[in-house]
Amino acid sequence: MPLGPGLLDELTRILGPDGLVASEEGRLVYECDMHTFYKGAPDVVALPKSTAEVLAIVRLCRRERVPIVPRGSGTGLIGGAMAPHGGVMIGLNRMTRILEIDLANRSATVQPGLINLWLTRAVQERGWFFAPDPSSQMVSSIGGNVSTNAGGPHCLKYGITANHVLGLELVTGAGEVVRLGGKVADHAGYDLTGVAVGSEGTFGLVTTVTVRLLHTAEAVRTILASFGSIETASEAVSAIIAAGIIPAALEMLDELMIQAINAGTGAAYPKDAGAVLLIELDGPRAEVEAQAERVAAICRERGALDVRVARDEAERALLWKGRKEAAGAVGRLAPTYLLQDAVVPRSRLPEIMRELRAIAERHRVQIANVFHAGDGNLHPLILYDDRNPEELERAKAANEALLHACIAMGGTITGEHGVGLDKVKNLSLQYGDADLNFMARLRGIFDPDRIMNPGKLLPSHPACGEGFRPARPRLPEGAWV
Amino acid sequence: MSVLARPIGGALAAIVGQEAVVDDRAACASAAVDGLAPRWIVRPASLDEVSRVLALAWDAELAVVPRGGGHALELGHPPSRLDLVLDLRRLDHVVEYNPDDLTVTVEAGATMEALTARVGARRQLLPLDPGGVERRTLGGLAATNASGPLRARYGTLRDLLLGVRFVQADGVVTWGGAKVVKSVSGYDVPKLMVGALGTLGVLGELTLRLHPAPPFEATWLAAFKDLAAAQAFIARLVDSTVQPNRVELLNRAALGACGAGDAPAAVAVSIATAEEAVRAQGQMVSRFAREAGATLLPLDASFWTAYGRATTPEGAIALAVGTLVTLVGETAAETERAVAAAGPAAAITGSATLGSLRATFPTVEPRAVRALVERLRALVAPVGGSVIIQRAPAAVRAAVDPWGPLEPDAFALMRGLKDEFDAKRVLNPGRFVGGL
Ligand SMILES: Cc1cc2nc3c(=O)[nH]c(=O)nc-3n(C[C@H](O)[C@H](O)[C@H](O)COP(=O)(O)OP(=O)(O)OC[C@H]3O[C@@H](n4cnc5c(N)ncnc54)[C@H](O)[C@@H]3O)c2cc1C
Repeated sequence: MPLGPGLLDELTRILGPDGLVASEEGRLVYECDMHTFYKGAPDVVALPKSTAEVLAIVRLCRRERVPIVPRGSGTGLIGGAMAPHGGVMIGLNRMTRILEIDLANRSATVQPGLINLWLTRAVQERGWFFAPDPSSQMVSSIGGNVSTNAGGPHCLKYGITANHVLGLELVTGAGEVVRLGGKVADHAGYDLTGVAVGSEGTFGLVTTVTVRLLHTAEAVRTILASFGSIETASEAVSAIIAAGIIPAALEMLDELMIQAINAGTGAAYPKDAGAVLLIELDGPRAEVEAQAERVAAICRERGALDVRVARDEAERALLWKGRKEAAGAVGRLAPTYLLQDAVVPRSRLPEIMRELRAIAERHRVQIANVFHAGDGNLHPLILYDDRNPEELERAKAANEALLHACIAMGGTITGEHGVGLDKVKNLSLQYGDADLNFMARLRGIFDPDRIMNPGKLLPSHPACGEGFRPARPRLPEGAWV
Repeated sequence: MSVLARPIGGALAAIVGQEAVVDDRAACASAAVDGLAPRWIVRPASLDEVSRVLALAWDAELAVVPRGGGHALELGHPPSRLDLVLDLRRLDHVVEYNPDDLTVTVEAGATMEALTARVGARRQLLPLDPGGVERRTLGGLAATNASGPLRARYGTLRDLLLGVRFVQADGVVTWGGAKVVKSVSGYDVPKLMVGALGTLGVLGELTLRLHPAPPFEATWLAAFKDLAAAQAFIARLVDSTVQPNRVELLNRAALGACGAGDAPAAVAVSIATAEEAVRAQGQMVSRFAREAGATLLPLDASFWTAYGRATTPEGAIALAVGTLVTLVGETAAETERAVAAAGPAAAITGSATLGSLRATFPTVEPRAVRALVERLRALVAPVGGSVIIQRAPAAVRAAVDPWGPLEPDAFALMRGLKDEFDAKRVLNPGRFVGGL
């Protein structure tokens, strides 16, 4: 949808000439997020420096009924920060200030474009950190983390982004600035902060975030245990949890992944292992020591081939190195992959891994696995060669089969990346008409004209349509009205 | 009785059975909410029955107050009207318990006591401990977002509710969230339902995250010469690696009510983990107490039972005062003064490391309550704090807004939600913020 010249002029008046990217080449940079499969360049990219500028842009777009796509760092994996219908993209990476750090009240207030890790860097010398740690934390923005409700390896113990957001400033799709929640923990009224987290830019733009900071743990202990098979490793995971231990992180890698990592990064995980568990415990020193012993013992009891405990920070970094570079390492196995993040109940891990192998065989694709085993959050990488269109089709079919299998086991289609454009068609696997309809109407409260990130998160399902009402229960015959 | 009353009663009976519809005057009078007696008390036995009762209520524009344990009926504005009390206590099943996944799905009318018995056998717990929690229902706890000392470590129901099945005002059964511990598919609808007082939907079934029961626990009490000294100790604790599961501030009256001694201020700390780690951290806490001029005394585990009882005295007024962690001492002191000006002594307790205080005191005149609540609201307003009346006689809640002022723009969204999902004002009409 090409924009009228009048609109560009008005945007220039709001932002100044260097606040817009309108050239063909310039806009192409913004045509996709890290799920490069989905492409759609915006008609113009606006780069505001303040809430007031964001507000002015939203009001303008609302008047003109032009779609708006918010964008943080563009590291999303769902086709989120891209513009399938064109329109105005609002990039928040010029709003990167830390507005306040208040350690005595365990909180910080930041602008949305601030990179996740920068916040931790600003407070770590004083012994504090920001808990949500997506593997992209060196590049992804806090606004993006909030909007996708990002997780990370350590959210097994610490929870996902939603558990750490105290308040937001939001410019809604209706063109209003609202302040939700805040530094004080308790507020009267509906928890609008809670539902706005994870709304993927469909409610509005997050322009300020107040987060909870945590004190750094006294001690950390990292353990690497290798097993003959995914099944035995999964049993060890269950046994650790059954022993009442919730590690900070509990990550699993399968055989194919181990091979790729060993070939690629020199991390040197045990070669003949069918699965590797990376277990991290943190907390008070005495607790960590007691639990580390227990965990190591459990792994041995469950038939671990090898158990290594990192003795210092350097060894810890080495154990994590392979895990952190996993996605890059599979590049050695195939040029491209589809990545999913569906979840199954933790106790169904052995079963879903068997199912995955069957799916891989059926669709003649390779699937490498690296995942958050502690909470059953899978990350299967379905490998394919993008030069071969038929291979892509098989990869896509395997991907669909996999999502169905996870749902059939009582799971969910996405544990941390979000829905975006990628899984919008799968949402109805998990939700019925009434549920989808509720969500669509909820969105309408914040964004009545549906100009915010249209086409994402909510499917173009009849139940999401204007005026749709789900079937109501039948009442007794001959009632009274 | 209106012209319609008889046929509606018949329709209700057709849905839930004659024996589950009560309409006799005495029973209805005893189920009154803030002096307003319903015309019917309906006791559905399934989610489907809840759904059909609400569909009927919607069509007939009846006002419905859902109730669980009946513990928090003195919360919020008095209802603007009331036709039907929906008693959910027959929905009391544990639907699905998956100990290996640390998740459980329960019907909303199940009590905490029943849930604890079930999951406690596997050394697991739902870490939620507001006063009187045993007899409260999970639905009621979620609708009011009730919490107690354990929130210092585990958060509130906002952090524990994974999925929810609820019935909208027009009877449509709706599901939000997921049954696994991690999900971001679609909006986080459970967050919207927690603390909404059932005004957007009647909670029917809850999927909850459980935690392993810690192997060992110890509790200590540090008594201070004044609230300022307690504040210094709290600050030291916040800026440390100690990971307590409860940190509660108590003023003199609260300490006395718990039978735990006599001092102007005290902080009760508990730590729960491996035994050696409890001891090591206990030594750290003891050092912090010494530095703040106090001695740390060990307490019996039964302290927390006494504490729960002492903080929810029958018939008292209860206020929740939300402030900054750095201001808990000051806010507690000012709350003491404000209540004393009205006559009684307030027992003040609360999650010190979260800034969530609670003040309870014997009922006084509505006008006096208004004066003290306004004084406290003015005190915490500059830091974005809140003063919510959690419990008080109806006359008090008619005289003082129990929720306090909200940001107008945020409230406009809240009203938008209520208009969208309960345009006829069927669910708990008038009770929630701004009279929603
Ligand atoms: C190597 C790699 C590793 C990753 N690891 C993880 C991981 O461990 N866990 C995890 O959860 N994710 C992970 N991700 C995915 C991604 O990094 C996260 O989803 C992250 O939160 C996105 O942040 P961003 O700033 O890049 O947002 P973007 O990609 O720019 O945007 C994401 C979505 O949020 C919206 N949005 C962005 N900013 C705002 C705002 N201020 N207001 C309103 N809406 C906004 C966008 O419209 C879009 O829908 C990974 C990605 C990569 C490339």
